Amino acid sequence: MTRKPSPNKDKERRLAARNARMFLFLLVGVLFVTLSIFLTVNVEASQSLPTGGTQTVVPSPTPTFDPIRLASPSVPQVPAQVDKGSLIFWGVCIACHGDRGQGLTNEWRLGAYKEDSNCWDSGCHGKNHPQHGFEMPKTLTFPPLGTASALGQFENAQQIYDYVVVMMPWWKPRSLTPERAWQVTAYILKMKGSLPEGLELNETNASAVPVHRHIAAAKNPNTFIFIFTGILALAMFGLLARDLRAREETVLPSPQIRRPNFFAHLHPPTIPAAQARWRYTLGAGGTAVFLSLILLVTGLLEMFYYLPDPEKAAISVETIVSFVPLGAFIRNLHYGSAQALVAVALIHLARVIFTGAYGAQRKFNFLLGLALLIFILLLDFTGYVLRWDEGIRWALTAGTNLLKSIPLVGNGIYIFVIGGREPGPATLLRFYSWHIYVLALAGGFFIVWHLFRVRRDGGIASAPTRENTNGISRADLLKREVLGMFIVSIVLIIMAVFIPAPIAPPIRGDTILAADSSAPWFFLWVQQLLKSGDPFWMGVVVPLAVITLFGVMPYFKDVEPNEFGSWFPRSGRIIQLVFTIIAVIILTLTLLSILNTP
Amino acid sequence: MTKTSRRDFLKLGTNFLLGLGGAFGLGGLVHFLSYEMDPAPPSQYDLGAAGDYPQGSRIVFLQIPAVLIHNDDGFMALSLVCTHLGCTVEHKDGEYECPCHGSKYDAAGRVARGPSTTPLKKLRVEVNDVGNVILHMEEI
Repeated sequence: MTRKPSPNKDKERRLAARNARMFLFLLVGVLFVTLSIFLTVNVEASQSLPTGGTQTVVPSPTPTFDPIRLASPSVPQVPAQVDKGSLIFWGVCIACHGDRGQGLTNEWRLGAYKEDSNCWDSGCHGKNHPQHGFEMPKTLTFPPLGTASALGQFENAQQIYDYVVVMMPWWKPRSLTPERAWQVTAYILKMKGSLPEGLELNETNASAVPVHRHIAAAKNPNTFIFIFTGILALAMFGLLARDLRAREETVLPSPQIRRPNFFAHLHPPTIPAAQARWRYTLGAGGTAVFLSLILLVTGLLEMFYYLPDPEKAAISVETIVSFVPLGAFIRNLHYGSAQALVAVALIHLARVIFTGAYGAQRKFNFLLGLALLIFILLLDFTGYVLRWDEGIRWALTAGTNLLKSIPLVGNGIYIFVIGGREPGPATLLRFYSWHIYVLALAGGFFIVWHLFRVRRDGGIASAPTRENTNGISRADLLKREVLGMFIVSIVLIIMAVFIPAPIAPPIRGDTILAADSSAPWFFLWVQQLLKSGDPFWMGVVVPLAVITLFGVMPYFKDVEPNEFGSWFPRSGRIIQLVFTIIAVIILTLTLLSILNTP
Repeated sequence: MTKTSRRDFLKLGTNFLLGLGGAFGLGGLVHFLSYEMDPAPPSQYDLGAAGDYPQGSRIVFLQIPAVLIHNDDGFMALSLVCTHLGCTVEHKDGEYECPCHGSKYDAAGRVARGPSTTPLKKLRVEVNDVGNVILHMEEI
């Protein structure tokens, strides 16, 4: 290419000026949006500032009793949990606890019951009470539901529920169904001013709702997310359109001024057009890298709120989901990406097997890839356990007991992994450390190594006989990658909005709730195998044998170099067949496991 | 409209959208990180019956931390948070000394020795209608 210096310089100057303008423009835009969002956040925060301290609402004494206080509370057409609770409170609790939770005060007694105000003297609640009445000792204190007294002993909604469902109503304990007890609990919290707006209390979230502090429920951020996605989608089309036009007169900078950076070590400068097609790579490897990045970022964000403590872990996860702004979205993204990563990694493995890309000098990188698959599965398992709720109880028990089944060393490995002879606080901390500091860190190292080896082994596998005349440019490759990332992002966002990551009630004491006892979907086949035989053989030997078989296969039957870079090479038939058979067996076992689950 | 201006517009628009997307992401990040996980400390403490604190008494509450003084003028309270860098000062012979950097305050909370330059905070105390001493964490 011959270059005329003057117009080029002129052009560069123009470009530089335009870039500077654009940068300023962007900077102002970014600052403006950030500032406005920050202000909104702060205004909201200051509005819902927890007051703390002891603030008892004392009803001002009214000289004359307003009979409207005895009327049934009005509830909306479709009553929420708390509205139903207000009706139960009115019907059951009000007699002793007062209409405002003030307790059996003189004012309430005289106002509400008039001539019957000395209820314990005789009649209904005296010693001589009728058959359907009950005796009410005068000495019994009827607690006002204020902070300093009755509610002071409870820290969270779960504790109120536990008390109410067992102890209330006073004359007939345990007569409230769990559902009705939750409704009453919600109403008590509302009277206290501690019920997060729009939150339906249940055994999963109640431990995370404090009694003496108001916390705002995370607002449904879907509008925000949709706007964000829309902007991304528009920008994607803009990028595509812009690059299509720009390609007509690409001015590549001369190689002298572009020094390779570290990214350029991992990212190929060009790949053959035939292998750059989606239908050859399936985009799986690149997608896996992108998913790993998303997992890294969302995982880091979760670390800001997650508490690796058996008492608090499930509650902190529930806090992220219900109270941290965008917390559920971030958690769902982490969960969705983790599931997608397993699927994408398996697709990538299948692609490599069916295109013979494990052959020749790539055998070692194939092993690295298998190691990464093991990392992903271990990360999934440890991450799953970090919920530390009723949902993981059996997976943790069964998964770790598998280790015990290993002859001779099994017990030692078990104690090393669990940090004791049975799961406890040390187990959670160890799994947390394994998940983040060992597996994620080492996994990241292996990803970089894996990518580096791809380039070291001559880029994406393609036949050496073909001249790489029609390679695509780095810009074009980048464009495709960006396009892929956008598509993956949008799919992930939609998944995160519509598929919530699972969460179950916190593990508490000895109560074992009927929780889901099925393994994560990618381990269902192992679970099915375990039903049919010795745990050591079915749960340890078989899965390890499958991975080992994959790892050694390339060393026994190599692929002809001239068959690289296309689907189903003839010289790889045996390995393709073995892989297919194993895949079919695993799929069948998975299906069986799904069908067997009631 | 010329070809160049359309391309420029496209580029500008795309970059703007990318920037906006980034700003939204940043805003979301700030929003996510803005949540206060720990509750704010109480704004007031109920110290129990006023009769438990006879005249002339000087009781230290390390958990708050504050000292409740009952003198001829009635109740008063001093915060025991050193005004220098926030360590809790120690009560020694009617004086208060900070273990961190050696600031010293006299019995009334005035600075007796640096590096601190401001006296200990005086806190509002009241006796409520039940007869309990209520310590408010606000400065008088």
